[in-house]
Amino acid sequence: RAYVLTLILASSKWLDAHYDPVANLYTFSSCIALSDLHGDGENKLVAGDLGTGVCNMKLKVYHGTGLLSESTLLDLPTGMVSFLMDLHEPRTPAIAVASGPFIYVYKNLRPYFKFTLPSLEVNPLEQDVWSQAKEDMIDPMTLKEMLEGLRDKAEIPLSVRSLRFLMLEPQEMEDFVLLHKEQPIRRQTVITCIGTLKKNMADEDAVSCLVIGTENGDVYILDPEAFTILYKMSLPSTPNLMDVTGQFDVEFRITVACRNGNIYILRRDSPKPKYCIELSSHPVGLVRMGKNVVVGCSHETLHGYTQKGKKLWTAYLPAPVTTMALMDLPTRGFQAVLVGLANCEVHMYRDKNLVSTIKTPDVVTSICFGRYGREDGTLIMTTKGGGLIVKILKRTAVFEDRDSAPGPPIAQSIRLNVPKKTKLYVDQTLRERENAVAMHRAFQMDLSRLRLAAARAYVKALESSLTPMSASLTEPLKMNAVVQGLGPSFKLTLNIQNTAACRPVMNLAISFLYDENLYSMRTAFFKIPLLVPGLNYPIDTFVECLSDKGISDIIKVFVLREGKSAPLLTAHINMPVSEGLALN
Amino acid sequence: MADDAMKTDVQLPAATDLKKPRPKKAPELPILERRNWLIHLHYIRKDYETCKAIIKEQLHETQGMCEYAVYVQALIMRLEGKIQQSLELFQSCAILNPKSSDNLKQVARSLFLLGKHKAAIEVYNEAARLNQKDWEISHNLGVCYIYTKDFRSAEEQLNLALQLNKHDLTYMMLGKIHLLQGDTEKAIDVYKSAVEFSPENTELLTTLGLLYMQLGKYQKAFEHLGNALTYDPNNFKAILAAGSMMQTHGDYDVAMNKYRVAAYSVPESPPLWNNIGMCFFGKKKYVAVSYRLSREHLVLSFDLFYLSPPASLLQAISCLKRANYLSPFDWKILYNLGLVHLTMQQYASAFHFLSAAINLRPRMSELYMLLAVALTNLDDADNARRSYEQAVQLDESNLLVNLNFAVFLYNQGDKKAALLQFQEMERKVNTQVDSNINTEFDPELVEMAQKLGAALQAGENLYWSKPGKDSKSSQRSSSSKPSSSQQPLGTNQALGQAMSSAAGYSKSMQITAEPAADVSSAPSPPTVDPGEPEDEDEVEETAEPAKLKEKKSKPKAVAE
Repeated sequence: RAYVLTLILASSKWLDAHYDPVANLYTFSSCIALSDLHGDGENKLVAGDLGTGVCNMKLKVYHGTGLLSESTLLDLPTGMVSFLMDLHEPRTPAIAVASGPFIYVYKNLRPYFKFTLPSLEVNPLEQDVWSQAKEDMIDPMTLKEMLEGLRDKAEIPLSVRSLRFLMLEPQEMEDFVLLHKEQPIRRQTVITCIGTLKKNMADEDAVSCLVIGTENGDVYILDPEAFTILYKMSLPSTPNLMDVTGQFDVEFRITVACRNGNIYILRRDSPKPKYCIELSSHPVGLVRMGKNVVVGCSHETLHGYTQKGKKLWTAYLPAPVTTMALMDLPTRGFQAVLVGLANCEVHMYRDKNLVSTIKTPDVVTSICFGRYGREDGTLIMTTKGGGLIVKILKRTAVFEDRDSAPGPPIAQSIRLNVPKKTKLYVDQTLRERENAVAMHRAFQMDLSRLRLAAARAYVKALESSLTPMSASLTEPLKMNAVVQGLGPSFKLTLNIQNTAACRPVMNLAISFLYDENLYSMRTAFFKIPLLVPGLNYPIDTFVECLSDKGISDIIKVFVLREGKSAPLLTAHINMPVSEGLALN
Repeated sequence: MADDAMKTDVQLPAATDLKKPRPKKAPELPILERRNWLIHLHYIRKDYETCKAIIKEQLHETQGMCEYAVYVQALIMRLEGKIQQSLELFQSCAILNPKSSDNLKQVARSLFLLGKHKAAIEVYNEAARLNQKDWEISHNLGVCYIYTKDFRSAEEQLNLALQLNKHDLTYMMLGKIHLLQGDTEKAIDVYKSAVEFSPENTELLTTLGLLYMQLGKYQKAFEHLGNALTYDPNNFKAILAAGSMMQTHGDYDVAMNKYRVAAYSVPESPPLWNNIGMCFFGKKKYVAVSYRLSREHLVLSFDLFYLSPPASLLQAISCLKRANYLSPFDWKILYNLGLVHLTMQQYASAFHFLSAAINLRPRMSELYMLLAVALTNLDDADNARRSYEQAVQLDESNLLVNLNFAVFLYNQGDKKAALLQFQEMERKVNTQVDSNINTEFDPELVEMAQKLGAALQAGENLYWSKPGKDSKSSQRSSSSKPSSSQQPLGTNQALGQAMSSAAGYSKSMQITAEPAADVSSAPSPPTVDPGEPEDEDEVEETAEPAKLKEKKSKPKAVAE
């Protein structure tokens, strides 16, 4: 196993203890913990690895820079905690892995106990329907109809079995009913987050209860030894992040960030949330610092709230939050919030002040700070690419309790990019200053001439119908020409359109004028059919180039009205140079 | 639950199930929602690619029955701009779970984004029936009503949203309604309470500052803009607004510092380069003012200027031309370019910029006046006169238009018409004094008017010809300030401010330009030194100066 052990820039506050970019860890902050698993005073890193996200889920234990053990998990781990479940000596903590509707408890890294969430209430009507099916009183099709009816209006949602049944093709229904009808109907939910709560003592090594949040919005507190439900609370939405403080027997406070973008604060003696914080975007990270709650939101903001839900401050982040964790150094009395960002940085905040920034080689997906091995200030991070980073806080590192980016922005001292004017420009300004009147007069004169020339050209074009648009009201025509071919024969396509609203145009003819030494056309004059308004009439004709000297000329096209010599419209076609050789 | 028997090996429960002899035993069915948490986790982290992969798998497993997976897929699609598809998915969510107000809310949101505001309102109302106390529904309903122009209902809904829960966004929208209805005072009240609720929101602070600026409450405006800049020193809008205010007070260096920050973040903003250009222009004046100590100095500076134009003026032109390049149809930039070129005595160029500005904004008297000045210097008296006539016709309260016209007419030898213009100016002065709009006039203007009055044997009854009123010359070192008549110029206040400061210069310009013409032609008229292109003169408000002095110190506090 390759790993890197380097010691570090002097200016850094951290020692880079270990970086394994191919540790192959797919995990989140909720699934990693530091724990003295063997009671030998050396903390191990325990990580619930989601594997590929479908299979190969593992519970991994790291010690030092190496993998100590690895055991297979049956389903995706949602959350993982390490907790002391009893007072037996030696005091080795247990590991609880939440996955699906179960909590798997490991002791000494051996499977010890499996807790299953209590089933939810099943719709009595659904129960009835299935019992009828069990007694073969109704056929699968009727069952399907009845279940569909139930699904659309029932207060209590259907069980998995019914939903699954409704997805089936008609021919599979029979077997499905046969297979499942004997089983009692159960409706289960899944665990979405897990935490621990000290039972009755505040000590570091006190026995802790498990606190779990479920998909249907319930929060349970479990007894650490018997795994019975001590307390149940319900929330208006599904919890996704949880922070627990206090002691179960005395007073506790559970802060839960929910999927609906709200944060609820639960307290003992109240099965409903006591306070509610409505955020304007989804919470991505939730950390409690002392008595305040710090929330990282998906709109690139970090908010501070009191434990009663009053907003204290907001900090704006340069990138979306990926994860958050608390950095707690009780020996130094130092606490900060670590915020992993999508721009490959980890920011350390004390209140709204950015204290320090750590650059990481990849986007960090999970952060854990604590004692690892025998080192108290260890920062463990995993990356999106599956890497594992271990950093140790230098004992000499001091964090200023001030914002590290005060003062005027750097941009203020950047010179403005104003181009210098050239000597020539200056000379011209001087010239203008001396000769302004003459310049102005010349300009006005030229302007008048230009206008006159333009007006003349316009009148001439109108008079001689040189434009490709006909100006006459009785025959509003439009024409354009396309030349195809390399030569010496070209195909000339004239697109003629009658732009009148409803009147057709009749009795038109087309004639071509060209240099007969250069070009020849089979017919230089022909009639065109009646033109229906709006339609495009492509008229093809062929031109033969007679010269092989690589010269070209203009062919003039006239659209004429029978009995009138002045053309309705004129087009000048610039012929391309003939690139082919004529075959004689 | 504790009823689960202790197992020695939890790792193999599925395997033990299979080993059971009874083949009838049904396999455990996977729970539909089992991966919702994972989908949500990736969604909020904005890892949409992974999220979509998981959703695809989950939908495959559940044959599209997993409501949350469909819901998040629709959210992601909407973020990707596929609003119509997302709407369809949300509608299928609403079919899977018709009792969820969330699904309805999202359906309505997609309808809103598609511009179907009426349909969105209906769906929101339906959602509101399922969930009475949701600020989001009320807020979005309010926004929909704004788009359907039903401001009363919008206000009602937004106030309801604020009662349920206070959000900055709701305040913003409520303020916007008042602004749309033209009720700035009410909008200010809303923003004030918003700023109280969240004192660090720079957007709210900036908006409030700009509104105060619109009302002419510069001190309050500066306070809020300054606050916005302390929380976010890179806030472009606040920088531009605060900078333009500093500029009007003559704090060009501080303003330039701010603009440098803005130019770094938004390098292609026409108003910004316009303001920077006018800063250079103003700075040049500052230097010139300090040269005014003695006549020799003055002449010297003028000579130097004549040989090679000051660098700051060239820089001003560079910046303004850049602004003009970025926004060629902005008449304010063209106006300023015309002005700077007049200062440079490049009358032919000035003519082009000013006539371009007039084409874009044909009803502004100052533009015609400047054009007339340019034309006068281009020896085109006929057109100059026509331009002045146009200016006088459009003008309402600007003394300079009449005064300049009078001087011009006098120089042309048309004393009668000059007297008429002079009397028109007197009339304006008297109305302004009577209605107390303005009692302090610019000394340069006064001086000029007095000289012209003497030449025309008129003007004894002018306000400033009474003793004790014309000893204000010491004020000339004060920086340029906008006159009240030039306040609101378009929606962009920042630019408007810069503009009005520029307009200030304009007046100085033609005063100096006029006499320059008459020195050569007519012998008798008042002789203001022709070499004073740097005077700044404008009409000031009486109430302003005290306030302005206070404010001068403020920007520095922000800058440090």
